[in-house]
Amino acid sequence: MNDLHWLTAEAAARAIAAREVSPVELTKALLERIERLDPRLNVFIRLDADAAIAAAKAAEQEIIAGRPRGPLHGVPVGIKDIIDVAGLPTTCHSKILVDNIAAEDAVCVARLRGAGAIVLGKLSTHEFAIGGPSFDLPWPPARNPWNTAHHPGGSSSGSGSGVAAGLFPMALGSDTGGSVRNPASACGIVGLKPTYGLVSRRGVFPLAFTLDHVGPLTRTVADNALMLEVIAGHDPLDPGSAAAPAGGYAAAMERGVRGLRIGFVRHFHETDLPASAEVAAGLENVAGTLKSLGADLRDIRLPALGEFAAVNRVILQSEAWTIHGSWLRERPGDYGRLARRRLLPGAFLSAGDYVHANRRRLEMIAAVDDALREVDVLLCASAMDPPSRIEDAEETERTYPRQARTPFNVTGHPALAMMAGLSSNGLPLSVQFVGRNFAEATLFQVAGAWERAAGTDTRHPPIG
Amino acid sequence: MRGNATTPGSAVMERAAIDRTTIELLARRAGLDKALAAFPDDVTAAATQAGTAAARMQAPADPRAEPWPPMKVGAGR
Repeated sequence: MNDLHWLTAEAAARAIAAREVSPVELTKALLERIERLDPRLNVFIRLDADAAIAAAKAAEQEIIAGRPRGPLHGVPVGIKDIIDVAGLPTTCHSKILVDNIAAEDAVCVARLRGAGAIVLGKLSTHEFAIGGPSFDLPWPPARNPWNTAHHPGGSSSGSGSGVAAGLFPMALGSDTGGSVRNPASACGIVGLKPTYGLVSRRGVFPLAFTLDHVGPLTRTVADNALMLEVIAGHDPLDPGSAAAPAGGYAAAMERGVRGLRIGFVRHFHETDLPASAEVAAGLENVAGTLKSLGADLRDIRLPALGEFAAVNRVILQSEAWTIHGSWLRERPGDYGRLARRRLLPGAFLSAGDYVHANRRRLEMIAAVDDALREVDVLLCASAMDPPSRIEDAEETERTYPRQARTPFNVTGHPALAMMAGLSSNGLPLSVQFVGRNFAEATLFQVAGAWERAAGTDTRHPPIG
Repeated sequence: MRGNATTPGSAVMERAAIDRTTIELLARRAGLDKALAAFPDDVTAAATQAGTAAARMQAPADPRAEPWPPMKVGAGR
């Protein structure tokens, strides 16, 4: 079989189950591609090739013996390096934790392995999932496969870049202010921040307890639903875990959008943070296409992006300070400049600020819940600009906060970002869909309809 | 703070600009002497950013409103 690296997780699992492709053959093909491309992309902090080959051989034997583990049997996966993989360092891309070896798998990793997935290694992130593309850390920042002079988004940078480049068909990321959806947007793939509490965070290095989510990054909507199916579910040992039913995420994916009510949150990109012309045109195209497919499009208003961002920042920095305060006191020079600057503000926020932010947060949750009583799904911008040039710190600093992802970390609603098209210079443009709590299946329904109409799953970066 | 118990919170939280002496005082109180010595610009930027973010939040519509629980989506809807 040619082009094994562009196999989706679903297709790979099917081919492995049918013995058309061996897990060893697939893993070796991806390792060869990683060896060739990763020096340009910096996706991996730690590639665990020997363990991956050993796991692939075991998976092959299990298939021969007729004992497949689950729906991802033999399919390789990359893991963001704030998520524990037993025996490997969880460095969080930081000098602070360079020798921090994980004793056991995070729950999400254990669930992937239980479904048969093969862990390839640990992936580049922004330092502690907050800094930004930094050149003063022990490892270089990941780069965008659509154009390596550009930022792949973050903080799950390696996850986004590696999936888009065909180094692996799926990856785990985390999202506290948009960190799954940002690389999905910048790299032209599919990234989901599930409902708060749907996926266990146990074994994931925290950034902000009440904003942190773990989510899947894939090249197709179907793969995203499949991966969520595996990692979702209640974890009694994660205090934020929701006791909600999980599963059935692909159930409505082929159903189309006829009759579905979609609320277009135009003010996010038209007045709150005016988007680039190409981003705005891309959003109009998505909305128009969904309407032509039978969706009932209407405009919806939510609180302004600026205030969502402020509430997110106060909560995030207050909570993060309680994690990083002692290191910032004793080892401030061991952080990169960007992470240090983004973590220090917590020292200057008061308990009153934090309580006010949470009080305002409840009003924002109510506002989004109200909107989602009027419509089934929200459509809005993800990024307001195409990906910045990675070595242009000023451009990155200017464009990084120009996004509409943080609102749904504040409220906890599920949000999916994916490709809306390509800019005139060949960089991905993006769109975001937001749903009711635990209604991820409806998000996949809308995203699937857009994917089929636009063929976003067949567009790959011109690399390798 | 503007806003009161009977009007919706449309006003942002007021906050006086923070001066360098206050920043240093607050930084030392937080135990950030090393950061203050080695990265004074980062500490100043952080203090300013914290003040800006806090000031951009609207005053609560009702000061009696409960802030908790912030994130309990429960059993689904």
